[in-house]
Amino acid sequence: MNLQFVVDGLLTGSMIGLGAIGVTLTYSILRFSNFAHGDFMAWGTYATLAVVGAIAAMFGKVAPIAPLSFGWPLIVALIVGAAFTALLALLLDKVLFSRLRKQEQAIIAVMGSFGASMALRSLLEFIFTSRPTYFSRAIQIAMPVGFGIRITPDQIALLILTAALVLGVHLLTTRTQTGRSMQAMSQNPALARIAGIDVASVVRVTWVIGAALACVAGVMIGVLVQIRPLMGFDMLLPMFAAAILGGIGSIPGAVLGGLIIGLAEAGAVQLIGAEWRAAVSFIILMAVLIVRPIGLFGVRER
Amino acid sequence: MNETVLDVSDLEAGYEPGVPIVRGASITVNKGEIVVVLGPNGAGKSSLIKAIAGLVPISRGKVLLDGKDITAAPAHTMVRLGLAFVPQTENVFPRMSVEDNLKVACGILERRQAPARIEEMYAAFPDLLRQRRTPAGNLSGGQRQMLAVARALIVHPKVLVLDEPSAGLSPKFVSMVFEMLSDIRKSGVTILLVEQNAKAALAIGDRAYVLVEGKERHEGAASTLWDDPVIAELYLGQRPLRKDSARHTETGGAA
Repeated sequence: MNLQFVVDGLLTGSMIGLGAIGVTLTYSILRFSNFAHGDFMAWGTYATLAVVGAIAAMFGKVAPIAPLSFGWPLIVALIVGAAFTALLALLLDKVLFSRLRKQEQAIIAVMGSFGASMALRSLLEFIFTSRPTYFSRAIQIAMPVGFGIRITPDQIALLILTAALVLGVHLLTTRTQTGRSMQAMSQNPALARIAGIDVASVVRVTWVIGAALACVAGVMIGVLVQIRPLMGFDMLLPMFAAAILGGIGSIPGAVLGGLIIGLAEAGAVQLIGAEWRAAVSFIILMAVLIVRPIGLFGVRER
Repeated sequence: MNETVLDVSDLEAGYEPGVPIVRGASITVNKGEIVVVLGPNGAGKSSLIKAIAGLVPISRGKVLLDGKDITAAPAHTMVRLGLAFVPQTENVFPRMSVEDNLKVACGILERRQAPARIEEMYAAFPDLLRQRRTPAGNLSGGQRQMLAVARALIVHPKVLVLDEPSAGLSPKFVSMVFEMLSDIRKSGVTILLVEQNAKAALAIGDRAYVLVEGKERHEGAASTLWDDPVIAELYLGQRPLRKDSARHTETGGAA
């Protein structure tokens, strides 16, 4: 048996996991399922692509960094793109979600996010067309690392980036006052206000973290696969499955859930057939909801 | 000498517009006092202090804290203004450790002050020190109430406002909570509390108000109020004073 699916699965899982962090934070702190989260991913990726283009126009062609397929322009563009995605999420919250969240029923905000998702997606297709595009057309040579596994320098770099981001977000949410305020908001919003926590600022931080990570996940897909307006929407089901598998509200859970789904998808492609790939996250989601609805790290609500 | 810390005048408040639960209530709390608000079920006691804490919309009247108008202040600014509120139930963050429950409340303190202030709370409540790593949801009822009070005290409030601190506690913990409040007052903190357990609350209180149908009907020294016939009439509902308080006879009564 070829173990290549482990690397493929970890990579797919990283992208799903980074996206699922935003899904799980939005759900536990803002209390609704944001179906536009995948489109934050796509918007972040296209924003990054646009900045890469702008840098190329200003500085000419920049040589990639040693073994990688990209140079400093992509790194700078990713930071700008993440900031742009965060602003997009804040803007959307201001004009749409904050009003809908005030309604008694969460389903209103969920439906609103569906509408926002469609609008964002169509707008991308309108601006950039639906033709796939790439950050780089260079072909990387995969290095054999034993056990029949091959991995490219880009893949290694992105796995390291994922690990660093997950660790950073985990420390932010567990060790800082901002993180404790986020936990407090998710556990008891009324008491959080009484304890002097500014709900509006916690909401902003939540959007910024979720949207920035979505942008990173999107750019990873862009670097390793391709860039399409539908790229984020296609990730929606795996991201929700990962968030629910890990237990809503748990950041380590979302990442672990992402890795499990990524590995299961890659394994299914190798063992059963590529046509089953999309079914895997759906089957896992169903199984979790039946067997352990609160997920791996979840907690029972009162 | 009698410096007023909290001055509530002619307060009208309720969850829905046009349906006031608090109907023109006026109370004052002086520095260093424990003031108790009593009253039959449905009198609006909880709504009154929640309105003061910014949790129930106020439609008329004023709340002054140290002479400063805080009537329209949002709930999350209250601790900064000097008013700390302890809700009756769900008053801790259940899946955060005891220590994180205290830390999260330190948001308005200077960063350097927070650790020392947490140590002071541990010194005052040794039970919490022993359980510092325990998720607050796993504490006993009495310890949870302690944590809720410590969380409120940590920011040096001018007035500590509590909603039925003895509710749902076993008798052993009830006396513990009232002893705790008495000690807190001795340390110089001003306290306003709503209580069903009238006897225990009056034992530690300085003054008390009896609230009926959203308005204070009686005010007196806590020591004499228990023997005052007005308590029996207005609060215990044994002998209706007036027709309009008659319907409280079924629901009224000390817990």
